[in-house]
Amino acid sequence: MISLFRNYFGEGLISVWYLASVLYLYVREKRREVRIVFVYAPIILLLVYFNPLFAWVVYYVAGYEIYYRLLWLLPMTAVIAYTCCSIYGSLQGKKKGAFAVGMAALLALSGSFIYANPFFHKAENRYHMPDSVVVICDAIRVPGREVQAAFPAELLQFVRQYSPVVCMPYGREMLVERWQQSNDLFDAMEMPQADLEVLAPLATEYSCHYVIIRRDKPLVGQPEAYQWELFLETGPYAVYRNLEVPLVIPEGY
Amino acid sequence: MILQLLILAFFLLAAPLWAGGLAAGAEDKTGRWTLPFRWVSGQFLLWGGFQLICVPFILAGRNFQDVVILFSGYVAALLILALAAGLKRRVRIPLRTEEKEEGEKGREGLLFWAIFWMLLAFQLVQAVRMTYGDGDDAFYVAISTITNEADTMYQKAPYTGGAIGLAARYGMEPFPIWIAYLARISGMEPVSVAHTVLPVALISMTYAIYYLLGSSLLPRGDARLPLFLVFTEILTLFGDYSFQSAENFMIARSRQGKAALGSIVIPFFLFLLLLLCKKLSEKQRVPGRLYLLFVAAALTGCLCSTLAALLIGVLCAAVGLTAAVVYKRWQILPPLAACCLPCVCYALLYLVQQ
Repeated sequence: MISLFRNYFGEGLISVWYLASVLYLYVREKRREVRIVFVYAPIILLLVYFNPLFAWVVYYVAGYEIYYRLLWLLPMTAVIAYTCCSIYGSLQGKKKGAFAVGMAALLALSGSFIYANPFFHKAENRYHMPDSVVVICDAIRVPGREVQAAFPAELLQFVRQYSPVVCMPYGREMLVERWQQSNDLFDAMEMPQADLEVLAPLATEYSCHYVIIRRDKPLVGQPEAYQWELFLETGPYAVYRNLEVPLVIPEGY
Repeated sequence: MILQLLILAFFLLAAPLWAGGLAAGAEDKTGRWTLPFRWVSGQFLLWGGFQLICVPFILAGRNFQDVVILFSGYVAALLILALAAGLKRRVRIPLRTEEKEEGEKGREGLLFWAIFWMLLAFQLVQAVRMTYGDGDDAFYVAISTITNEADTMYQKAPYTGGAIGLAARYGMEPFPIWIAYLARISGMEPVSVAHTVLPVALISMTYAIYYLLGSSLLPRGDARLPLFLVFTEILTLFGDYSFQSAENFMIARSRQGKAALGSIVIPFFLFLLLLLCKKLSEKQRVPGRLYLLFVAAALTGCLCSTLAALLIGVLCAAVGLTAAVVYKRWQILPPLAACCLPCVCYALLYLVQQ
């Protein structure tokens, strides 16, 4: 629980500002309701958090990896912001402006700009999905039924957010190491070369109507020899139709 | 597209604002309320109702369309009740939510408000313009998409597709089904609702809750209220010191129920607890409507995440017990405990399903 605590507060100085704010409010704040919610209750919450018996029960019922969410109960943002406002209110003249600007800069420097996070990037469309996923899913969709398609790892998490009628032989569970899932088709898809001798029978075994392969990945074997037909090329991906698996459109569609 | 956005604006803005009339009087004994209070409390009443309606339908394996019909009826009923309550009390929307002050404080306030609105606009534009690749969306957003398409709830594998048995333990926290509801009612794709529309609404709501907290902490018309909001924005914008912080969840994963729990439900619960303590400090009677909001917030917590049962229980116990000792008012504990009962029920259901 100590390592979870450290991870939660990261490397910034926010925890220091929070602690300083709680101490300031403990000394200066007179209103009982503010002391209860911003000073006393957080101390109790921290005692609860560090209670090994409590932690054991939560670990047992909900798992250890979400235990840090107990720290969401600490009103850090509100406490720090309110303390800054209290100090600001106690100052006079130009000191007030200087304090507000200085504190804003200090808080900004103590944290990390959220949009600088490498996981943030410009959305390619209004779905916030990669364009390739949108184009591929729209292209392979057939009326009245689901289709099965094998995608490369980097697209797995997006496919079924966009299209519920595109099914996959493996999904995002393959990307979470601690879940320890394995799938031979996924392993074959993620090899440096797309060896059709291995891929084609597995794709048929998993009833894949389509297989999506990066165009920059070398193909070993001729697709036509394995009943694969190039269906579409979009962005960095090539979509192959696996003719070994029939794709029958239901009557009435 | 414009019609879809208008429908979503009705369900995310107008309907909560309207329904929030039912909570008038919880904040202020004069029955006055601010627009943010009305909007947020109305949304919590809607969310609470959704949780109550949706979970039994999920457990019974019923169709999603049944939930759509019943919840739409609930929304209509709530709006009619709110209208009737408003007419009865003849409560009017105050033209100004803040008392303007002249001189330096007024100028200061204007400057801080301008900074606040600019930073908020920046965040909302970024919410639409930028995307955050989070793997958990493959579960939550896929559930919304499947629910809207297949009309079943938690009966298909979100990662791969294909039928599975009822995944009832996830059905205890049907926030993705609420997103599917918005998609179905507006006609917009669930993936767009989740990634593009909801972040705008939920990030705005988070700041509305911070506004409420600031209003409770600072005197009305004080220039420090917008300054308080500016500081909360700075702390949020620079809240990437850890990917686990509630601020990070709010900006990066606002469409996920757990993000709403950390950045909306818990701050609103804190606001309600602050309001409760304030009333105890001023030796006022605690209005029943305040407890109604506690129940709605507890239900909303469960809608967002099953972990809410634990978090809300611990928070209520910590603040409630401290307040009971400080004010020597032990009688606040039974109603506060009763407000947590929904959490206990859903937690027990979750454990049974596990």
